[in-house]
Amino acid sequence: MADGLADKMIRVDMTTQTASVEPFPAKWRLLGGRALSARILIEECDPKCEPLGAGNVLVMAPGVMSGTSAPTSGRISIGGKSPLTGGIKEANAGGNPGQDLQKLGYRVIVVKGKPADPKQRFGLEVDQSGVRIVAGDAYKGLWNYAACEKLYEKYPQTASFITIGPAGEMQLSGASVACTDEKGRPARHAARGGLGAVMGSKGLKFVAVDAGKLSIRQPAVRKEFFAYAKDYTKAYQAGPQMFKTGTASVVFIANMLNTFPYKNRTEGQSPDVETLRGERIVESFATRGGGMHNCMSGCIVQCSNVVHDKDGNYKTSALEFETLTMLGANCGIASWEDVADLDRLCDEVGLDTIETGAAIAIFMDSGGMEFGDAAGAKRILHEIASGTELGKAIGNGAVSIGKKRKHARIPVVKGQAIPAWDPRPLKATGITYATSAMGADHTAGLIVNPGLPPEQFAQASQESQIANAACDSSGFCQFLQPTIEEIAKYYTMFVGEDVTREQIADMGWQCLLDEWKFNDGAGFTKADDDLPACMKEEGVGPNHAMKFDVSAEVIAAAKRRFASREELFKLKATG
Amino acid sequence: MPTIVIPPPYRGSTQGLERIEVAGRTVRDCIDAVSAIHPAFRPLVLDANGKVHRFVKLFRNGDQLGGDVLAAAIAEGDEVHVLAAIAGG
Repeated sequence: MADGLADKMIRVDMTTQTASVEPFPAKWRLLGGRALSARILIEECDPKCEPLGAGNVLVMAPGVMSGTSAPTSGRISIGGKSPLTGGIKEANAGGNPGQDLQKLGYRVIVVKGKPADPKQRFGLEVDQSGVRIVAGDAYKGLWNYAACEKLYEKYPQTASFITIGPAGEMQLSGASVACTDEKGRPARHAARGGLGAVMGSKGLKFVAVDAGKLSIRQPAVRKEFFAYAKDYTKAYQAGPQMFKTGTASVVFIANMLNTFPYKNRTEGQSPDVETLRGERIVESFATRGGGMHNCMSGCIVQCSNVVHDKDGNYKTSALEFETLTMLGANCGIASWEDVADLDRLCDEVGLDTIETGAAIAIFMDSGGMEFGDAAGAKRILHEIASGTELGKAIGNGAVSIGKKRKHARIPVVKGQAIPAWDPRPLKATGITYATSAMGADHTAGLIVNPGLPPEQFAQASQESQIANAACDSSGFCQFLQPTIEEIAKYYTMFVGEDVTREQIADMGWQCLLDEWKFNDGAGFTKADDDLPACMKEEGVGPNHAMKFDVSAEVIAAAKRRFASREELFKLKATG
Repeated sequence: MPTIVIPPPYRGSTQGLERIEVAGRTVRDCIDAVSAIHPAFRPLVLDANGKVHRFVKLFRNGDQLGGDVLAAAIAEGDEVHVLAAIAGG
């Protein structure tokens, strides 16, 4: 319902394998996605809990706008205490489960407890008749695509699924949570921070959401809401549509800006940029098929590519910039087609492509394998799926394999691998990595502005973090690039009361405060707000002169709120 | 004179300059003029064949240019904005 008072939430106790429905608390009515996840974790989860224990709380929270006619607004946040970082974590994904949950009136699923028998698997069914925990052993061990194919044998084609692959079932710290896209493929992942392992620890193999033919959620001020959404869409489509050919299109510019890490970040540029750039993928559409598509219903960005193999058969979706970088250039792998194979394997096994790419690169850098060995990298993915010792070490992420190999160059912050966007040429982004409670996460606040004066680093990072927290709470995709001002307008018309842009900015800031508070409780200190030695001592770019040289004082300033300025409200969310 | 407005990611190539006034009657003239002073600017906008990169969009006085973008006429006082894709997960 538009006013939020008749909305519901689902509570699941995996110790007793029971699910129940409760009214959604009015105090949370303007919270969704990441902000809602953080609030629930602050109120209901002991920050000192064991991430894979019964005390951790797994949150699945669609954004506030999910399920409405607002364009590209259906993202869902997965939250919990991360087994990778030991701190709070939110990772969000596209696909349709977020929208379907909201169409059914469910604002959030909160999962607690864990089964006594860790070998058992369960599923959660959510549909118009209610919510139920069901047996899931029939899906045990299945890779994500096979699991979803089997699920569609049982559930209607209108259903969408949230699943984990073998990595999640093995509770590996690099495990992702998969969401099915508009075609029912488990290709959209809440990938970062190992939340798939948390889902696995609770014995939950899948969530099946079937909204049937329920229509979109209705706003309080219908006419104005629909008109605004229509005008917004028209304006977007008349604009440059920077992601019309996918995020892979930024490979070339990233390489120019020395933020296309090569061979475990020892260089900022790759000699293989021509065979990894997104244009090669776009060219393949003409002869093989595939192309650009919606990852979720109602998306106007359509940045998701569908990649086919040489025979014209579906291979993977979406092959993104981060994946081409971390599983490609960063591992010295030169062919986008090999990266496409690796991407599919990660989606199948249920792994974060960033963490896995970083971990394989560390394995290569430490002499475990030659850089550029694509066949070897694929073998590793199979080893992760089958749970070999090496597979587990890499599946548990960059720090895990780095320690096992006694290797010094481990590019992580708070235990999470640094994404492609490099903090040495992009120092304000480095401040985001240092200060975000999530660890190194470009979606927490990306600033691609190498010319930014140093005195503006802290404020730029903070403003970007506020804008992205607001976006990730709304359900809008960061690639739609909504501003705080625009989000406030949507909220105002949806709930039927004035929601100011200042309120939205404050909610974004409060989300950050909640996340920092959780991490304080988990034992994090100021010393954790830092980048690793390899980012400060080893440079990229001409003469390897670009290093992360931002002082602790400037980093700390990003966590003290600056006075809001006009730019904050007009800043586009960017990830 | 026309003004080229440089996007933040490209200002490293223009010594931090955001706006550069140049003499030119077409977009190509303007890009050539900026590149003459700041050679690192050209490859950020044009590919090896002299075509505008797919991820770069050009606007004249707020209107996106289509067709033969480089041949588009530029008048005295016009502003040419260069936009580049600057995100990607």
